Amino acid sequence: MANQMKPNQNINEEKLSEQLQRLLSSIEASKHAVFSESNDALLNSIVTAAGRLFGAGAAAILLLNEAEQVLEFKVAYGPSEHTRKLIGTSFPMDKGIAGYVMMTGQPIATSQVKQDTRFDQDFAKSVGYVPESILATPLLSGDRIIGVMEVLDKIDATSFGMQDMEMLGMFAQQAALAIDQSQQINNIQEALILGLKRLVNSDPSQDSTEILSVLDESLDETNRTLDLLELADLFNQISALGEDERKACLQVLNVFAEYRRSTTSSRRFR
Amino acid sequence: MSEEPLRPAWSQSFTADAIQELPAYGPFAKITPEWAWKNSTGKGIRVAVVDSGVEFDHPALGDCVRGGVVVEYDSKAKDNYRIKPDDQPMDVSGHGTACAGIIHSIAPEAEIYSVRVLGRNMGGRAIQFAAGLDWAIENNIQVVNLSLSTSLEEFFGLFHDLADQAYFKNMNLVSAVNNMPEPSYPSLYSSVISVAAHDGQDPFTYYYNPNPPVEFGAPGIDVKVAWNKKQYLTCTGNSFAAPHIAGITALIRAKHPELTPFQIKSVLLACAANTRRENK
Repeated sequence: MANQMKPNQNINEEKLSEQLQRLLSSIEASKHAVFSESNDALLNSIVTAAGRLFGAGAAAILLLNEAEQVLEFKVAYGPSEHTRKLIGTSFPMDKGIAGYVMMTGQPIATSQVKQDTRFDQDFAKSVGYVPESILATPLLSGDRIIGVMEVLDKIDATSFGMQDMEMLGMFAQQAALAIDQSQQINNIQEALILGLKRLVNSDPSQDSTEILSVLDESLDETNRTLDLLELADLFNQISALGEDERKACLQVLNVFAEYRRSTTSSRRFR
Repeated sequence: MSEEPLRPAWSQSFTADAIQELPAYGPFAKITPEWAWKNSTGKGIRVAVVDSGVEFDHPALGDCVRGGVVVEYDSKAKDNYRIKPDDQPMDVSGHGTACAGIIHSIAPEAEIYSVRVLGRNMGGRAIQFAAGLDWAIENNIQVVNLSLSTSLEEFFGLFHDLADQAYFKNMNLVSAVNNMPEPSYPSLYSSVISVAAHDGQDPFTYYYNPNPPVEFGAPGIDVKVAWNKKQYLTCTGNSFAAPHIAGITALIRAKHPELTPFQIKSVLLACAANTRRENK
């Protein structure tokens, strides 16, 4: 592979970066991200499946935003006019029933939500949906609570039961795994870009063993992450060829990093 | 999904269809709830609620809350936690107050101590929990309500050691099982009294499951409980089943202080609603 990639000594770096920018833009336009930003589609399907299976009026996954100490609605299932309003909204991590689950790590079902002061009535009214019954369970990543999954308004019953609670726990496990994996991939992307930039700027005698070991440590055996490893290896090989190649590599990475910055800011929930 | 329903949930052992009548033999058949706890108020028994705190001045608690501690995670501290006294405890969510309220309603003269291990800290939850249990062991607590558990494999040994220490110090740990049918600690250790929810409402009606690990089923579905900020709520969860058994355990211990933890468990089995006793 290294031979195939051997760069032309007269490579026009500016031209390369322009081409790369164009290539990445066209990929974006075709809706196929180079690196998936998150597993939103998977989370959506988990929430939808849970909502239907439980016979619930609505369902949602909320994730902790640690920096702002709030819970954010990540995905939701239910009447579309309400779910649209919900996505991206947030509230303090110790408020409402989701906040209770966040603070205790314990699942709970309650059937008198309107009399329940844990439930943030004002927030519910603001999005036009005030449920009667709620079942909520934590999303756990090891010892950490990373969010809350909830189903609202059991159809044909006044409250959710123990079996519902147990089953929602299984859905929550799947959701937590998906979130974990997606965050791990994001971390790897960052490590890859930062690490390779450092490599290119560093002493030519230094190899990229350190970066690869960082990648190795956090890797799951998924196809996507294996792709990333291969990419890292490729850049390593190119940069080992000489100063010009290393410079070209740096330019490519800079363009890519800039591109990522410009696209992620518009794609993340606010 | 397969035709077989998703298997269960510890609480499934206590549905009306699943409960089995159990024979009692010899002297065990003579043990009755009247003998075990009649006229007992739990007087003098020290009960710790290891949880989100207990709202000490909640009207549902009378003046049974005698103090407690807050356990905080601190990565810079020795063993990664700090313990602070908490003479007038508060509750960060309501979960602990609910458990304390149930215990107090059953054992009104038991002394309750709040051991707050749940809260805003995002890391070290299992460490806080273990430290809270350790505090109870070191402070002459007789009954500990644990409506929480950890599924982290690396804490198996630590919690097992703590559960053994408690057992050898003549303490009863009463633990709600996880809401998922998977291992959780310390709720599934044999020295612990493990509890899941059944859908009855009578606080003194509980069942024994002859197919452990979960051994007892107590009310935990649509239970009216005390909550923080002087409120009451209707809640469902194994969390609310355990304090029923903790309360009954306090009653038995107050009336029969000579009994050891394993004898207490035998008395609980003998008095379960599905045990076939003499003259029942």
